[in-house]
Amino acid sequence: MRELQVKWLLALCVLFIFIGVDGVTVSAAVDQRVYDNANLLNESEIAELEVVAAEHSEKHGTDFLFLTISDEEVFDIQDYMGDFFDAWAVENGQENAVLLSMNIATRDVYLAGFGTAETTLDNQRVDLVLDRILPEMQRGDYADAFHETVTTSSRYMEFRPGVNPESIFLKTWLHLAIALLLAGGVVGFMLYNSGGRVTTTPTTYFDDNNTRVTSKLDQFRNKTISRRKVPKKSSGGGGGFGGGGVTGGGRSFSGGGRKF
Amino acid sequence: MVIQYKCPNCGADMSFDSESGHLSCPSCGRQDDIETFPEDNILRKFDPGEAKEYHCENCGAIILTEAETTATHCSFCGAAVLLADRLTGDLAPAKVIPFTISKEEAVAAFRKWTKNGRLTPRGFTSGDRIKKMTGMYVPFWLYDIDGKADVAALATRVRSYTRGDTIYTETDFYDVRREMDLSYLKVPADASEKMDDELMDKLEPYNYQELKDFRMPYLSGYLAEKYDYDDEALFSRVESKIVPYIDSYIGSTISGYSTVSYTNKQIQANKKNVYYTLFPVWMVYYDFENKEHTFAMNGQTGKVVGKPPISLFKVAAWFTGIAASAFAVMKVISFAVGGVFW
Ligand SMILES: [Zn+2]
Ligand SMILES: [Zn+2]
Repeated sequence: MRELQVKWLLALCVLFIFIGVDGVTVSAAVDQRVYDNANLLNESEIAELEVVAAEHSEKHGTDFLFLTISDEEVFDIQDYMGDFFDAWAVENGQENAVLLSMNIATRDVYLAGFGTAETTLDNQRVDLVLDRILPEMQRGDYADAFHETVTTSSRYMEFRPGVNPESIFLKTWLHLAIALLLAGGVVGFMLYNSGGRVTTTPTTYFDDNNTRVTSKLDQFRNKTISRRKVPKKSSGGGGGFGGGGVTGGGRSFSGGGRKF
Repeated sequence: MVIQYKCPNCGADMSFDSESGHLSCPSCGRQDDIETFPEDNILRKFDPGEAKEYHCENCGAIILTEAETTATHCSFCGAAVLLADRLTGDLAPAKVIPFTISKEEAVAAFRKWTKNGRLTPRGFTSGDRIKKMTGMYVPFWLYDIDGKADVAALATRVRSYTRGDTIYTETDFYDVRREMDLSYLKVPADASEKMDDELMDKLEPYNYQELKDFRMPYLSGYLAEKYDYDDEALFSRVESKIVPYIDSYIGSTISGYSTVSYTNKQIQANKKNVYYTLFPVWMVYYDFENKEHTFAMNGQTGKVVGKPPISLFKVAAWFTGIAASAFAVMKVISFAVGGVFW
């Protein structure tokens, strides 16, 4: 009897250890997520960003990484960040990541999703994130832009893949508005009809046999034609480029970039 | 002149039975067809002091009436009496729809209606506070209306198509003209001053299949009144009632366009025939929280109308319930689609 209890306890302990280890592996291996080579952030901003990034990285099993450089020689930020990530992935043994890279010299910013993030943060969602952070980037408010990159991407990644997370049909305020309007309409209708409903219709007293059209005219008069261009899908400020690809090391990713 | 229908068997006062459509005797149960009721048993009594007061043939008591009353009960012996001179000549109804709902059925139907009141206070829905129910023939004018309409409109047909990178929107304009003959049959308007017009309108429609040529015995046992307004006085009310019907018919004759805007609309409506008609109505007087509420029930179809008291609590509960469940449903759907609740 006692032996059995001990065995159970032991099994339970082992189980906990495994769960614990499993939960930590993802984040424990990574101790740096912000690579501010261009020195755009101060100490406390970096520390704060590391905390937020770590928190959301753990939540999704996907690391949120930031890379800033200041190098006029770098023409293609996509290649540069690809090389950076190939090295980083090998070093940290982690393939799932969201990487925001920017070159302050060429004013390029590029957001990429690797591994599982390639689907959970697809091109469309990358564009939505860029739309939101671009005003802050243009203002030079990089700390806030990075912070928003983490929270917004993390938020979008909760949605089912392929769904537009900014779709109006998924907005709580719309649900609330429809619910209130519907309830108001139904109760208003009930109140209006509480004293009895009018059930006569235009046909109640209608005499089929003696109501008829005796003369009818439908004369074409003139026509007007108006033309307009098929609207182009507009992208936010600064030309967009990219749209995912494959790194030199063979890692495919979703992504998108802008000038800011 | 006072008219009473005496039972050929036992001499009791007979009254109209809504179930069989016959005259029926409350004491011996005899039923007589209205068309063939023996002339001998119709008691007609001419009062010399008529126009001032009528007397009951049974007990001699003065029958208390208002100036409009045409059928009532003797308030002493309860006999059903008709005041015939108020139902003859110009005042003779042309048609009548007899009661098909008896008092018991009316009470049951009214109870059921109060129980279904989703916004009425709990105490009201228990439905056992009926103070009085009165079966009453309400005077109506039914109008057969002949008319003509002549309308002109400017209508458009809009279509869009894309060639290359240009969207073309083509709007074709048409001159539309319609002339039509209009006919509406037996449109009712209540001719009693006492009755609320809106309430009476809501009691419609009646089933005209059971519209009968008027016979006095139909009124026996009920209250009845004569009209306060003649057919000329009420015609404008009927006109305003059918104008929306005519508009809807005109609309139905102009179809296939994106927009229609009328430039000229002339409607002419004339009355072709009028029928002075009595419609059966159960008036229900109901006590609730020290106030008397009046309801009316269509004596042929059982439809109930009237303003019931409203419980704010129930209104709020329905509102909250509907809003909350609609919100929950939408949240479940958005979770199923988007994978996220908030
Ligand atoms: Zn009898
Ligand atoms: Zn009497």
